[in-house]
Amino acid sequence: MSGRDYLGEFEHIVILALLRLSDLAYGVTVRREIEVRIGREVSIGAIYATLDRLEAKGYVKSQLGDPTPERGGRSKRFFHVTAKGIAAVNRSHRAIKSMTEGLRLVRSCS
Amino acid sequence: MSKATFVRPPRMAAWLVDLFTPTGQTESIPGDLLEEFSELASQSGAASARGWYWRQSAKTAAHLIATGFVVTPWLIAGTVVGGWLLGWAGYWLTEKAVVAVHYKYQVYAHIDAYDFWLLYGVLIERLIEPFVVGCVIAVAAKGKEMIATMTLGLLIAGWSGLVLGYFRQYWSEPNFSLVPLLLTTFVSPVMIVFGGGIVREIRSAMSRRSSATHC
Repeated sequence: MSGRDYLGEFEHIVILALLRLSDLAYGVTVRREIEVRIGREVSIGAIYATLDRLEAKGYVKSQLGDPTPERGGRSKRFFHVTAKGIAAVNRSHRAIKSMTEGLRLVRSCS
Repeated sequence: MSKATFVRPPRMAAWLVDLFTPTGQTESIPGDLLEEFSELASQSGAASARGWYWRQSAKTAAHLIATGFVVTPWLIAGTVVGGWLLGWAGYWLTEKAVVAVHYKYQVYAHIDAYDFWLLYGVLIERLIEPFVVGCVIAVAAKGKEMIATMTLGLLIAGWSGLVLGYFRQYWSEPNFSLVPLLLTTFVSPVMIVFGGGIVREIRSAMSRRSSATHC
């Protein structure tokens, strides 16, 4: 297994957001989910840059929805995680778990 | 979304995002921004929503530019180098053509003809030729038109600035006017980016028309 199989921090967060949102995952909802859950304000550009990278790796797939008036007649692009993407999340979780096992991450102030 | 009077997002910010959005994402990115803007405008007011839209647009454009360099570095590098060479070839050919016309028709003897050729020679060299170069490299850098033309424009502006700085001892000479020199020097990078912008606008319009037909 090569190092490229592991997810980057933001890729990991975005895939988890897609899994949480299930069928409602598109740019706006993913951005909000991340903002609400981890308090990090990210731009739509950052979300799409990551989603495109994940799609190129085969971890997510996208499809266009119907155009809506509140979007100026533009379509939403819905994303879902593929089996390969779920395997990548599990692999990254296992790697982090193995690396953090037995570590005391909270340091005392004294 | 609650019902509210329709508020338009800032045109300049929307245009900025449109310029850098890859052709496959012309529906999703501007649509997402508009959707959030409309909700924010009805909840927090137009001023706050406009501020948010500007911040998001600037961050999104920066991300799209950076992603363009990461995803297609060879396309950008190739078009920039090609544009640089094309610019030099065009500049050299234009100058040769103007000098040839001057000699062939002895225009030095006729002050009106001399003025005409001098004016149009400079016009072609400084305005039309870089504009054409901008259009050509934008056509080659499909989807990354603005990144390629802005990179080339910045490189040429930097290079021209270095050359101007190198000859700065002439600046203090009498009858030397710096402003026209600066204008004629830096108009070329602007025209390259302008050419890229025109090609990008045409492509965006074609893409919008095509998606409207599919719907």
